Amino acid sequence: MKPDRTRQPALVIPDRVGMPGATVHTLANGMELYAVQSTAQHLLRVSFVFRAGSACQSHPFVASATANLLGEGTARYTAAGIADRLDFYGSYYDVSLDRDYAVVTVCCLSKFLPQTLEVLGQMLLHPTFPEAELRTYADKRKQQLAVERGKVSFRARELFAASLFGPEHPYGVSYDAARYDELTPELLRDFYARHYTAANGFVVASGRITPAALKAIGALAAGLPAGSAVPVPVFPAVAQVPEAFAAQPGAVQSAIRIGRRLFTRDHPDFIPMQVLVTVLGGYFGSRLVANLREERGYTYGVFAALVNLDREGYMAIATEVTADATDDAVAQVFAEMERLRTEPVGDEELEAVRNIMTGEVMRLVDGPFGVADVTIENIQSGSGPDYVDRFVAAVRGVTPAQLQELARRWFDPAAFTTVVVGPGK
Amino acid sequence: MISYEKHTLANGLTVIAHRDRSTPMAATNLIYKVGARDEDPGRTGFAHLFEHLMFSGSRNVPDFDTPVQLAGGENNAFTGNDYTDYYITLPGDNLETAFWLESDRMADLSFDPKGLEVQRKVVVEEFNQRYLNQPYGDLWLLLRPLAYKKHPYRWATIGRTPDHIAGATMAEVKAFYKRYYNPSNAILSVAGDLSPDRVFALAERWFGDIPAGERLVRHIPAEPVQSRARRQEVERDVPATVITIAFHMAARIDMDFYVCDVLSDLLSNGNSSRLFRRLVQDERLFTSVNAYLTGELDPGLLVVTGRLADGVSVKAGEEALWRELRRLQTEPVPARELNKVRNKYESGVIFGEINVMDKAMNLGFYELLGDLSLVNREVDLYRSVTADDVRYGAQEVFRETNSSTLIYRSKHETR
Repeated sequence: MKPDRTRQPALVIPDRVGMPGATVHTLANGMELYAVQSTAQHLLRVSFVFRAGSACQSHPFVASATANLLGEGTARYTAAGIADRLDFYGSYYDVSLDRDYAVVTVCCLSKFLPQTLEVLGQMLLHPTFPEAELRTYADKRKQQLAVERGKVSFRARELFAASLFGPEHPYGVSYDAARYDELTPELLRDFYARHYTAANGFVVASGRITPAALKAIGALAAGLPAGSAVPVPVFPAVAQVPEAFAAQPGAVQSAIRIGRRLFTRDHPDFIPMQVLVTVLGGYFGSRLVANLREERGYTYGVFAALVNLDREGYMAIATEVTADATDDAVAQVFAEMERLRTEPVGDEELEAVRNIMTGEVMRLVDGPFGVADVTIENIQSGSGPDYVDRFVAAVRGVTPAQLQELARRWFDPAAFTTVVVGPGK
Repeated sequence: MISYEKHTLANGLTVIAHRDRSTPMAATNLIYKVGARDEDPGRTGFAHLFEHLMFSGSRNVPDFDTPVQLAGGENNAFTGNDYTDYYITLPGDNLETAFWLESDRMADLSFDPKGLEVQRKVVVEEFNQRYLNQPYGDLWLLLRPLAYKKHPYRWATIGRTPDHIAGATMAEVKAFYKRYYNPSNAILSVAGDLSPDRVFALAERWFGDIPAGERLVRHIPAEPVQSRARRQEVERDVPATVITIAFHMAARIDMDFYVCDVLSDLLSNGNSSRLFRRLVQDERLFTSVNAYLTGELDPGLLVVTGRLADGVSVKAGEEALWRELRRLQTEPVPARELNKVRNKYESGVIFGEINVMDKAMNLGFYELLGDLSLVNREVDLYRSVTADDVRYGAQEVFRETNSSTLIYRSKHETR
C-alpha cells in the first residue's frame, strides 16, 4: 500500500513544557545549592557560578586568567597533578567566562564523584596561581588572541561591542594582547579572594544526586569563605556609534554585525521580542536566511538573536557574506526589518515560529544538564523557576499585530549600529 | 550500553530501533552510504553539494525545514568522506513527520534549477567562510593530497576547489541521486519512547514502497603503501607556524585502529597528556598540540600537530614531536597511564550517549561499519589494548617513511 505523502501527519504541540524543578539548600556559609535530580544515567555535573566576569575586573584579562588558573596549581597539587587526577577519573573540567559571570563546571561518572570533588575542592578553595603557570598561560592566550583576530567574524564581534557600548565601557572594551604581560599572581589572588566567595555565587548540581552526593557537594561549597557581595562596579555612560568599519585586506568575505541596545530580561517586551527576532533571523528558514542565503546565495549562514547581559540587553544580527555583496546584504537586512514594520507576519509563519520556540525549550530541558543550564540562567536573571512555562505561554499567545507593533517600536533604523570587517572597496 | 533491534525491509532499507523511556523527545538518523570518496576527481565536493540540494524540496514537500519546525523539531545534515548523515530531533508525539519527510525525499526529490543555482553559491560561500577566510583554514586542503596519492581521501569533503562546485550540472545531480539515494544504500536509526515493532511498522509504511535501486559496486582505488617521507612547506599570513605530521594507519574496523586510538589519547587527550604536559606546559615549545585519528572507514590517518610558541624554530618543534613519538616506540607505557586513557575513553563514550540524537546517530554509524554490535563493545576493545600493543603500534605507525609533514609557516615568524 502506498503511503499518503501529500500531507503532513497530524501534529501535537504542548501548551506547557514541564521543567523538573530544582531543590534548594542553603549552606552554612549562606551559599545556595540547587539540585536537579535525574536517575537516567550514572552521571553528575556540578557548576559553581560566581559573579566574576570580565566586567568585574580592574585590570585587563584578570577575570579570565583567574578562572583559567584555578586548576594550575593548588596547596596540595601541581597543575600536572590536577590534570592527571581528573583525566584518570575520566572527569571533565571546564571554565566559561562572560562579561558578568565565571562558571566552573565538572562532569563525572557517579563512581568517581568523591575523587572529582576532592580535586575540585582544591581548585576552588586553595588555588595558588603560580607565576610560571601564569606566564605560560599568558603566552598561549596572546597567540590565541592573535589567531582569533585573524578572523573577520571575531574582529566584527569586538568592534560591534565597542560600537554599541563604547570602547571603554566594560561591555564594549577589548584589549591589546600585549596586556596579558601585565598580569601578576597578586592581581589574580586578589581578584579570587574578593569574587570566589559564597556571597558572590551559587552552585547547581544535576544528574544522579544521591543523598551522599548532595552532602559531599554541600560540604565542598560550604568550605568557601562567606565573603561579602562585591559592590556592582559603576559603569561609564554608554557611547553608541551608528557605523564602524575595519579593513581586513585580502579577505574574501566581509563579516557584518547589525544591532541595537534593547533591554534586560525583565522588560515586558522581552518575550514577544524574542519571537520577533526569531521570525527575522532566529532559525533556519527565517526571513534573513530566506533572503541572504536561499534567495541570493550571499552567505552560508545568518543569525539574529537577543543577547542578555546582567545590566543590558541587545539585539545582534551576524553574518559573513561574499565581499562583493556587502552593501546589498546590509541593505537587505534593513529591508527585512522594515517589512516587519509594514506587513503583519502571516499566520502560518507565526505558527511555525511558535512551534520552533516551544520545541527548542522542550529540547533544552530534556535531560538534567540542560535543566541545570536553564536553572543557572533563571537565577542569574532573577526570573524564578516558573520562567520556562511563562515563556512558552507568552510565546504561544503572541499575535501578528503585536509583532508589527513591536517592530515599529524597536526596528527604527536610526537606532541601529552597523559594523563591517572586510576587504573594503 | 544502547539496546537495539534491527530489521531490514524488502527493498533493503536497514532500520534500527532503540527505546528510551526517559524522554518525550525522539530522533531519527538517516545515513546514505555515499561520501566524498565516491566522487569523480573532476567534480570534488559534489556529495556535499548534493546534501544541500536534499533540502531544496521533494514532490510533496516544497521546503524541508518548515514541516520539521512546525513539529517543534530541528534537523541538519553533514557529509563525510564515507557517508552522508541526515538527522532530526523532535517531540516523540510528532515522530511520524520525520518518516514522512525523509521518505518523500528518498522517493522523489525535486530537481529545481533555482535550488541548484543558489546552493552552488551557498556552498562556495561555505568554502570561503570555513576554508579560505580563516587562519589555517586551508591546512587540510593541503594535507590530504600530501598524504594520499591515489585514494579519494586525497580531497576534502568541501572539494579541491570552488570551481568544481560552481560547475556542477543538473544531469550530474540526477545521476548521483539515482545511483546512491536508494533504500538499499541507506540506514535509518530511530531512538525514542516507542517499541521497536512500532518503529519497524512506521518504516514499512513510509519507506516500503520505494524501489530498492541498483546494486552498488564501488571501485575505490587503494592507497599504495608509502615508501618515503613527504614534506611540504607553505607560508601564510597567520600569527604562528603550525607543524602537522600525518601517518597512515589501519582501517576503522581493524583491531589496530584501537591501538592507534590509544596512541593518540596518550599523546594528547586531556591536560595530563604527554604532548600537552611536556611540550606546551613544561618546555613551552608549542602553545597548542593535538593528536587524533581521522577515523574514516578505509585506512585513515593518525595526525600529530602543534602550533609553535614565538621564537621556537620549526626544527626544534619537529624534533620535540618526534622525540615523544619515539618514546612510545621504546619505553613501555606505565600501567597507570594506560588505565587513565582507558577510563577517559569509557567516560567519553558514556557522556556521548546521553540523548536520543546521540544514540540514534551512534547506532547508524556502527551499522555503517558493518558490525552493529561494536556500538556496545568498543570500550572493551579499547580496554584490551596492552602496553606491548602500544609499543609495537608506535613502531609500525611512527616511521619517517610513513609520514607526511606539512609546515604551515607564519610570514611573521620572528626567527
